[in-house]
Amino acid sequence: METLRSAFDFSDFPRLDISIAGIIAIFLLVFPLFSSSAFAMATMIQFLMFSLYGMGWNTIGGYGGQVDLGKAQYVGIGAYTTAVLLIRWDIPFWFSMPLGICFAVVWSFIIGYPLFRLKGHYFAIATIATSLVLMDLFGVWEFVGASRGLEISPIKYHPPDFWRLIFKEDIYYYYVILCFFFIGILYVNGFRKSRLGFQLRSIKDNEDVARSLGINVHWAKIKTYAIATAFVSMVGSFHACYIKSIEPEDTMSLDISILIALMAMLGGAGSLWGPIIGAAVLIPLKSYLKEWLGAAAGLAGIDLVIYAMIIMLISALEPRGIWGIVEKRRRRKRQ
Amino acid sequence: MDILIGSLVAGILIGMILALVALGLTIIFGVMDVVNFAHGEFLMVGMYTGLLTAQATGMDPLLTLPVSAMVGFFLGVVCYYGFIKFLMRGPMVAQLLGTFGLMLFLRNLALLIFGSEDRALHHGLLVGKSFSMGMGVIIPATKLAAAILSVFAFLAIWLLMNRTKTGKALTATALNAQGARYMGIPTDRMNALAWGIGGASVTIAGALLVNFWSVNPFVGLLFTMIAFAIVALGGFGSVPGAFFAGIVVGMIMEFPGFWDFLTYTLNWDWMMDVPMTSFKYTGVYLAYFIIMVFRPRGLFGWKH
Repeated sequence: METLRSAFDFSDFPRLDISIAGIIAIFLLVFPLFSSSAFAMATMIQFLMFSLYGMGWNTIGGYGGQVDLGKAQYVGIGAYTTAVLLIRWDIPFWFSMPLGICFAVVWSFIIGYPLFRLKGHYFAIATIATSLVLMDLFGVWEFVGASRGLEISPIKYHPPDFWRLIFKEDIYYYYVILCFFFIGILYVNGFRKSRLGFQLRSIKDNEDVARSLGINVHWAKIKTYAIATAFVSMVGSFHACYIKSIEPEDTMSLDISILIALMAMLGGAGSLWGPIIGAAVLIPLKSYLKEWLGAAAGLAGIDLVIYAMIIMLISALEPRGIWGIVEKRRRRKRQ
Repeated sequence: MDILIGSLVAGILIGMILALVALGLTIIFGVMDVVNFAHGEFLMVGMYTGLLTAQATGMDPLLTLPVSAMVGFFLGVVCYYGFIKFLMRGPMVAQLLGTFGLMLFLRNLALLIFGSEDRALHHGLLVGKSFSMGMGVIIPATKLAAAILSVFAFLAIWLLMNRTKTGKALTATALNAQGARYMGIPTDRMNALAWGIGGASVTIAGALLVNFWSVNPFVGLLFTMIAFAIVALGGFGSVPGAFFAGIVVGMIMEFPGFWDFLTYTLNWDWMMDVPMTSFKYTGVYLAYFIIMVFRPRGLFGWKH
């Protein structure tokens, strides 16, 4: 009960933030009623998915300061669990998603235990290595379709099928992921005020001091890593039902891992709103740049060139992200 | 038996070139503790430079090495003064993502300019030639030449690092940047030099590699990961370590050959069914993971 109240308690934010967040929440709720463009709808779903990925990354990467560049492996585990169970045994999404989370969390314990003996760069690169190993394994594993991947054909089912999460119109997917999105915000809000949340922040500030205070550093990191994993794997399951065709190359590639980390970084790691702001900036930017520039003949890659330049500018000029700029402003005003 | 020796020789040859690829990464890491994700993209720049210079001038590809080296040095120095210097003020996370941005930038710039198709060299003094060593072992001449030149490049860098005043200044910067600054060493210029040497050595490796490896804009990531594995195995910042670790990683990449050898000798059927060639690079990643977890200093590491 106490944790539930803590999750709904946003009172430590300034009133301005809460009112802006409320307006945005209402906008998100009514958005599909006004928009008829399928492209805008798809972009919005991508935005919600990536802000959830970012929130997951933010628990370990932002609050805990452990830069994880291997989140895509958990997207893959979630997506493959849902797709395989649905195709082979017709098990609906709402059962396969928790199962996928279980698999992902077990895997995160297995690799998290050795991984968290490393720090800094070493940790970041090692997470990439595990992710790539898993991608190679899925690429040859016949049971999950090897490198061809899996395809969920919607013809076999009768959309709208809420149990299996097979719909024809994007609007259903939009509201499902929006629900996840709100639950995710509440969870992270509770998490940052929980015991584990405070432990993690002290680990980020100084690991030796945290250890001397009696915090089990290794175990706290592994637990948080499992939480981050659960977030990512949940959205991975949704991804399988939404995209309907998954391959190792596009669900588990390094680009996805980096994009997830980038989103949270750009918005401001270690803050509740950071990953959401990051996703709100980067996802529309990416898809509209691709729409406007990528399609033109002879200009393949120019969208990503501009995108990369923005990443470079942000990391060189304001490494604490957009939320960092806001906070700096506020601190200056208070003085 | 000939499969075994063939794989062994091939592993050593490719390993020597991979060691040169990793050399730049280990120098940059050793001097300034930055992990350069764009390293593989520097290699790609070297490959394109070698290829295009050879095609434009009609020279032999092996003679274009100085051009590649100059381009690489210039690229490294420009990257340092224009970008990396600003990243150093931020936290480690910013450096990781900044160099990742650099990687995306170079890769997609190459895509924009050169298109996505594979390009390979077809003419050259050594391209396509090979000679037999007996016992069925065939060595492609390009690989042998590249391996030998790579050893020379290594020696040159090693001499520079250990026998000259500049090299001593670089080492001092690596050990304690602040202390070096008090001793009157221009650490900023030393960092730029590290990036220049790092860039030059990796573009030379690229120009050597393009003799027998086709190039496209996406070639970089694989080599970045291989280079990380080599640097981790050899110890971050160690030049001789990179050389020996390169050969070890070359062997790991030739693992499918050893697997074939075992299959034939032991004559076990289940071994035939394992698609070992798909795991060619998996072994490298796995090796990286295992080394990092059990011996983070690497084999020759002096800095941690």
